Amino acid sequence: MTVATMPTSQKPKLRLQNVTKEFVAKRTGQKTLAVSDFSLDVRPGEFLCVVGPSGCGKSTVLNMIAGLDQPTEGSIVMDGQLVTRPGAERGVMFQDYALFPWKSVRDNVGFGLKHGTPGNGLSPVERRERVDHFVKMVGLEAAATKYPHQLSGGMRQRVALARLLANGPEVLLMDEPLGALDAQTRMVLQVELLRIWGEAADHGERKTVVFITHGIDEAVFLADRVVVMSSHPGRVSAVIDIDIPRPRTEHIRSEPRFGQLTDEIWSLIRDEAYQAIA
Amino acid sequence: MTTATHRFSITSLPPAVKAVTLPILLILAWQAWTLTLPENSPAPAPAKVVASFLALTASGDLIWSTLQSLGRVIAGFAIAMVCGISLGVLMGSSKAVRENLDPIVESFRPIAPMAILPIAILWFGTGTPAALTIVAYAAFFPLLVNTVYGVSRVDRQLVRAAQTMGIGRLRTVLAVIVPAAVPSVLLGSRLAMGVAWTAIIAAELAVGAKSGSGGSGGIGNMMFIFYAYSVDLNGIVVCMIVVGVIALLIDRLFRAAETRLLPWRT
Repeated sequence: MTVATMPTSQKPKLRLQNVTKEFVAKRTGQKTLAVSDFSLDVRPGEFLCVVGPSGCGKSTVLNMIAGLDQPTEGSIVMDGQLVTRPGAERGVMFQDYALFPWKSVRDNVGFGLKHGTPGNGLSPVERRERVDHFVKMVGLEAAATKYPHQLSGGMRQRVALARLLANGPEVLLMDEPLGALDAQTRMVLQVELLRIWGEAADHGERKTVVFITHGIDEAVFLADRVVVMSSHPGRVSAVIDIDIPRPRTEHIRSEPRFGQLTDEIWSLIRDEAYQAIA
Repeated sequence: MTTATHRFSITSLPPAVKAVTLPILLILAWQAWTLTLPENSPAPAPAKVVASFLALTASGDLIWSTLQSLGRVIAGFAIAMVCGISLGVLMGSSKAVRENLDPIVESFRPIAPMAILPIAILWFGTGTPAALTIVAYAAFFPLLVNTVYGVSRVDRQLVRAAQTMGIGRLRTVLAVIVPAAVPSVLLGSRLAMGVAWTAIIAAELAVGAKSGSGGSGGIGNMMFIFYAYSVDLNGIVVCMIVVGVIALLIDRLFRAAETRLLPWRT
């Protein structure tokens, strides 16, 4: 299983075809192949996790889907349209959250609505209601007037999530959004993330998510499918279906199937992970 | 002080007491020294300085000169702010503009404001326009350099975040880059105000030297008159103290503005 093709007749939300990214160092002219021949279909409404050893090009793939970086070769297509630049239909949640430090929680959440295309056609009242809705959804009403530096890591992560959702993107691109948090906060927020994504709702109402993580258990807990990447250069080494039923709760972490899938993915990454620290 | 635990210690004094103790001792020593001099000595003495200060304040000369100098500083600073910040944003956000202008800026920057005084006097005479030119020139560089620094050092990730929210290029400059650069711009403003105040006194002194007692006014000019005509060292000391105190007040004002304008910092 080196290439993930569509098993159904359903049209993909995103199609990455033979995507290759080569970085050229400005001074030395030295070339680094970060991602090579990466092909993948992302289904509408699916929660897709990408795991792999550090430096395998996971974030590069995400940035290319976001349109922040351009592939050297190959193409990325969303709903039949070639992706050439960033756009609000592909929202990104950055690893370091990228919150605007001079804006309060509310103003961070409403930033795209105020300055960008997501606010088009909305009256000021509608914008305010939308900000209220998402601030409430992530449970930050009490901190709404605070600035990012006054918040804990978990709260900042929630602000970034609310900001992402307030812009109403069709595809959520998340780059290790829980990576900087302590283990307990992380587990709580994983459950929360699934709730907000709409796990309990109909499949058709869910957003498409591409979620980068280095936590294998996190990927198994969250995902419908897990893409395993290998490094140097970054490519797809396997795609694993996670057949654990939804809605998922804390309890599935102790189920045998959870352990099996985690082991299976770990066995695919293990050798490279050992090489990386050797 | 009945017990050892209540022993007197310098470190336990309030900061305000510590701040004034040494100056008071120095002034007392200075006064003691001047008492050893003959009555008609021109050396400045604290008591004479206070008397001179009261007389100059009562006549209105001191206040008027101070206001004149301050007015020039504010006007020159405003000119420098408009030029420095707008050019700084341009240079900071466009590499092409920066690379073209940098050599010019860097070759003018080391030229002291006083060094352009001869040209300013030849072009604008000895009045306010010449003083404004000097002040604006002096204040321009700290503002420009800090604005360029602030704008070019904006967190790239914030700009990328804005792009993924469908925010256009011009809007990104206004809504992300400019606010992110505000701390650097404020720092530049504080430094610029400091050098502007230094420059105006020097410029007025020099203009006074050129135009004599019928000069263009201001504290610097007042100092020149005390120096060259009435040979009043006490008056000069009064001016020096006023200049120092005003510089301190300006600095405190800018610091207060920084904490007010940047509630999101610390």
